[in-house]
Amino acid sequence: MSFAPRPAVQPWARVNTGRRIQILLASSIPLLATVLIIILTGLDNNIALIGVFLPLQLVAAAAVGFKAFGKRGVGDAALIVLVIFFATFVLVLLASVVFALISQGAQAMSWGFFTTNNRYVSNTTSLEYGGVGHAIIGTLLVVGLTTVVTVPLGIAMAIYLTQSQSKTKGIIRTLTQAISGLPSVVAGLFILSIAITLDWQKSGVLGSMALLPLMLPTIARVAEEALRLVPVDLRYAALALGAPNYRAFFQVILPAAKSGLVTAILLGVARIIGETAPLILTVPISNGTSWDLFSGEIMTLPAYVYNYLGSAFVPSQNRAWGAALVLMILVAILFGATRIISRSKSLKSKPTKEKASK
Amino acid sequence: MSKDKLKAMSESSVSKPAPVRRKLSAGPLSRGDKWFFRTTSIAANFAFVLVAFILIFLFIQALPALTSQGLPFVYGTEWNTQQDPIVMQIGPMIWGSLLIGAIGVVFATPLAVSLAYLIVFMLPSRLAKVATTLVDLLAALPSVIIGLWGLFVFSPVAAEWGAILNKYLGWIPIFQVSSADNGFGGSPFIAGWIVAIMIVPIITSITREVFSQLDRDLINGALALGGSRFSTFRRVIFPTSAGAVVGGVLLGLGRALGETVAIYYVLQITFNINWGQILEPNGGAVASMILSKFGEATHDEVSGLIAAGLVLFILTLGINFIASVIVNRAQPWRKN
Repeated sequence: MSFAPRPAVQPWARVNTGRRIQILLASSIPLLATVLIIILTGLDNNIALIGVFLPLQLVAAAAVGFKAFGKRGVGDAALIVLVIFFATFVLVLLASVVFALISQGAQAMSWGFFTTNNRYVSNTTSLEYGGVGHAIIGTLLVVGLTTVVTVPLGIAMAIYLTQSQSKTKGIIRTLTQAISGLPSVVAGLFILSIAITLDWQKSGVLGSMALLPLMLPTIARVAEEALRLVPVDLRYAALALGAPNYRAFFQVILPAAKSGLVTAILLGVARIIGETAPLILTVPISNGTSWDLFSGEIMTLPAYVYNYLGSAFVPSQNRAWGAALVLMILVAILFGATRIISRSKSLKSKPTKEKASK
Repeated sequence: MSKDKLKAMSESSVSKPAPVRRKLSAGPLSRGDKWFFRTTSIAANFAFVLVAFILIFLFIQALPALTSQGLPFVYGTEWNTQQDPIVMQIGPMIWGSLLIGAIGVVFATPLAVSLAYLIVFMLPSRLAKVATTLVDLLAALPSVIIGLWGLFVFSPVAAEWGAILNKYLGWIPIFQVSSADNGFGGSPFIAGWIVAIMIVPIITSITREVFSQLDRDLINGALALGGSRFSTFRRVIFPTSAGAVVGGVLLGLGRALGETVAIYYVLQITFNINWGQILEPNGGAVASMILSKFGEATHDEVSGLIAAGLVLFILTLGINFIASVIVNRAQPWRKN
């Protein structure tokens, strides 16, 4: 039922077959040309990327844009090329970090690396001996103590920011956000000054205290977002049924926001698990396993990396890479857990309604 | 209102107008509620307590150094703990931190805004989610890992970039070096890149959120008027989100000033002010300097380092506070 012959170029369709081919050509020719130039002239890769590839790609994209949309297509093409170029650049950097970690850290990986400590290890001992077992234990203890203290505090803060009608909410929120930029070394110095003032011995618990101000803003912010996602009608319904505020929170809002709050905790742990500077300033390191947070020396993973990284000996550097990979695996596990939790939407689900109607 | 009065009122309500308006209050009714709000408000006000405690304790321990060094502590350029009386001045470190922060922000802002634009306006939602996850992963990388990577992997590459910049753009003062034999390692340029990598996720996440909360009708309207991608970005997206982006950049700057371990590994820390020759292996950073001096510090020197921490804290708190205010103002949907 066509009244007119179908035009070859459909102005309403942004991309048609002909343009697809043009785009394909425009994105492959500059790359091929650059590779060719590098092979033929032996130009430095970095120079070729910025000096040859990017201008060529811009010109090619601009040509396609001009052909398709006239003058205004040129700006579009430049925008798209630059955006993709910059974004790819960041992606390459990230990939480089992950690749370096895996390729360098993998040589250290073995069962023994996870389970043994470094008691009889010197700078040049081969990687078969010694490991990060004591550092893993130390990190779990130090971070665990921080988590136990900070989670109730942070969630209570989030409750205050979402449930109360107080006028100081805005300033507290801004202040919390400002604390989130607290330099980690300052957090360490803060606890160090307390320790000097009150004449405390350095120990694992000081490290836990130093991590608290770093973890608190993350938990408070993410938990606040999670609580905010619960429909306010649920709360009003509970209040209208005569529930006091705390019951409305514990029986209605908390179950509904559970997954969000768990995410907050996980992100908080991920935020501090790799913090190095505060631990170096406040926690004495050891090569043996220690379960005692309150006195004596205790090793943590970041301090382990820091300690062996400065070494001039290759086995020690490999230990640092291995420990860094372990640290990264821990962060990745925490991170993956938050993704899984946020995917299984327990938010706004039915159980809350049942509990609300109790 | 007493019970008798109420009774009297209800009996004679037809003839008399209600005498007193009942006072409406929205305070907590039950004892449980009182405790609920009391506990949470204590927790929330802990934010004030924390900042106050940090200031007080840092100040107590910094006082000996501050009184013995005086005002030159902030702008002087010498750190010598071998002589008597000892001299501790952190001028080059403060300047170096600002310089590295500025370099980092200059590198990170285009990268972050591009990423945010890509995620919000160009990628299909599935890929956008993947990209968001990757950016969050970048944010989750501990700084010691970035430092490790920066020392062994990135520094050599960035030194090469520095050499290229010096070779082709050496006529610009900031790319000049005193001698090319220095190898271009350990420069503020490299430290700036490291910092940029760490603040890209911060700026991206704030920009992304602002972009995705933009009024879609505005953008569609601009497109319907014949606007292109570029003109929509230039005339609609950019002006409406610039405030929040500035806030995000400031937050990133605050983070950059406080970055410790990663910079410690890639920067050559010296007590000469490097006014802007970013390729020289000569720079400073307050946080990294504290870490590097801490190992062998005497009691007096620790006081000086804590004083440096105090200066850093005040600097970053100020920047972060301004940034938070800007970000909150630019995100009205967050209020209530």
